[in-house]
Amino acid sequence: MRNSVNRPPTPDAAEDPGKEPTLQEIINIKLIESGEKERLMELLRERLIECGWKDEMKALCRAFIKKKGRSNVTVDDLVHVITPKGRASIPDSIKAELLQRIRAFLVQAAV
Amino acid sequence: MATKNLLYTNPKLCQHLADYKLRQGLSGYKSLQNCLKTTPNGRTSIYKWDTEIPRCCFCNGYQGRLFLCLICSSISCSSHALLHAQSEDGHDVVVDIERSELYCCLCSDQVYDPDFDKVVVSKNMMDMPNNTYTVDDGIRRSSKRRKVNSLMDLDFRKSKRLVSMRDRREKSCYPLGLRGLNNLGSTCFMNSVLQALLHAPPFRNYFLSGRHDRETCKKRSADRLCLACNIDVIFSAVYSGDRTPYSPAQVLYSWWQHSAKLNLASYEQQDAHEFFISVLDGIHEREGNGRTPTKDNGDCQCIAHRVFSGLLRSDVTCMACGSTSTTYDPCLDISLNMDTSNFSSIDVANKSVTPKENSGICTLSACLDLFSRPEKLGSDQKLYCQNCQEKQDSFKQMSISRLPLVLSLHIKRFEHSVVRRMARKIDWHLQFPFSLDMTSYLSSSIVRNRLGNRIFTFENNEADTSAEFEIFAVITHSGMLESGHYVTYLRLRNQWYKCDDAWITEVDEATVRASQCYMIFYAQKMLYYKANDGLSCMPLSPMRDPFFPIAGCC
Repeated sequence: MRNSVNRPPTPDAAEDPGKEPTLQEIINIKLIESGEKERLMELLRERLIECGWKDEMKALCRAFIKKKGRSNVTVDDLVHVITPKGRASIPDSIKAELLQRIRAFLVQAAV
Repeated sequence: MATKNLLYTNPKLCQHLADYKLRQGLSGYKSLQNCLKTTPNGRTSIYKWDTEIPRCCFCNGYQGRLFLCLICSSISCSSHALLHAQSEDGHDVVVDIERSELYCCLCSDQVYDPDFDKVVVSKNMMDMPNNTYTVDDGIRRSSKRRKVNSLMDLDFRKSKRLVSMRDRREKSCYPLGLRGLNNLGSTCFMNSVLQALLHAPPFRNYFLSGRHDRETCKKRSADRLCLACNIDVIFSAVYSGDRTPYSPAQVLYSWWQHSAKLNLASYEQQDAHEFFISVLDGIHEREGNGRTPTKDNGDCQCIAHRVFSGLLRSDVTCMACGSTSTTYDPCLDISLNMDTSNFSSIDVANKSVTPKENSGICTLSACLDLFSRPEKLGSDQKLYCQNCQEKQDSFKQMSISRLPLVLSLHIKRFEHSVVRRMARKIDWHLQFPFSLDMTSYLSSSIVRNRLGNRIFTFENNEADTSAEFEIFAVITHSGMLESGHYVTYLRLRNQWYKCDDAWITEVDEATVRASQCYMIFYAQKMLYYKANDGLSCMPLSPMRDPFFPIAGCC
């Protein structure tokens, strides 16, 4: 479908030709619709607090802010610096548990 | 570095946010109110897409942080937020969808606005029929709140004089007020609590300055039973300078009579904590009557409540609609469960809790964290939500709305299980600090944190009382559940003393730290330092008669 020259293009995934929703997107949508994603997020939060990951990240943030100076740090800076460290330091047991839960969900959702 | 005060001052609005507010006022915030939703973990999110998930208008991404523009409601992800602000003039301020927090695209940083927080927070608090606590009420309440430091009217100069006289009969340089208490038959539970009460600064000053007049008290009531009178006798005896161990038989007898209805009167070992509560209750019964007869013990003017009573706040949040109902309960002490997290192996699959040797230390702050952590109420404890008009899952969070002058912490070491018909004692060592800062357990901190990154303060009692405490007494328990022994450690002028019934000895800090604490008593820092100022041997002025009776001592 052609957009009128004067009208600003409306962002719409459906209008974008040739872009099929990926498997990942489909799964994500199903997770959200059923409310399972929220439950998984909650579980994840609980586990990460329990194992001390959250405290570790907090400490990393504090150290970074101390180094840079409080007024020189933005939230974006922190996110960029902490994200890779955070992703790398998640315990395997937590990853395994969540994968297990997602698999279980997919099995019963595919029916 | 003490930056904690800076946390609660409003940071300046960034230029872009200020411009936005000039142009739009609060209309943008208000229109957002209808889309706010509280998620089960307590966060407030924006929720207005029923059929589809929010996606970035530039890249169609749906992962990571997504921001909603306050002006045109278009969504951008964190990588494209700047692009949105650059492509549309004036669309600088956006809202984080998941957290309901303001973000400025041009500054690429989070920004804060008390008005915005007010809008978000007021959605969270419901106007309930029995709980008329609204956001504005919070501000009004704090200004009307009675001054907690009413005990400051007790002349502290006088109290110093009371205890600064050195007793010439005694060779040793022990501070006044240290006297052993004889064990009258498994009464170490009583002795240990009495020792702690004898040295609680405002409590001590009240009795030593003769505020409880035994004569008028006897005249006012025919029967002899007045726990406060008996305590007064003990104060006089203990601070008289006589060092021979004293037998607190009168208190024991009075307490037996008072607690007869509770079936506590016997020769068996009792629980020190139960005794503590019932003694304060007994004092209240006598002193509270005749004064302001209020149902709310929090405003009671009896000495027991004025010193020990604090106010706990309990927030129950419905997980479906996010509305919170708040109740306040007065408390004489706080009972803490021991935090087991450091002792469990993180074995998610097995879900086992195996205590490992030296795997971690249980600390007091961990127990306090546990106390104020949001707790999901079980599905068998669904509460009726006024907003949803049905029973819903909810979570509860406790916090301290008002701290008492003397904070008594009780560690729940004795587990009684009615189901399994057994009782056991938890022997783990608990690490506790000598200086305690309770700021993060105040309602103002806890509720603020629960609602996300907020600047808005609505519980304004920080100005009234400080949250810094100093320890002055520890009651420890050693032995088994059935046959244990209570000992009190007192800190007077930075020296620790062990009060083991009739035996008082000097001990060092390490001993105290290694002990198995059961009840810990903290006094507000200012009161502690004032009290310990004059409490030592001071050279007598030549004019004063050394045997001049101390006020209150007969």
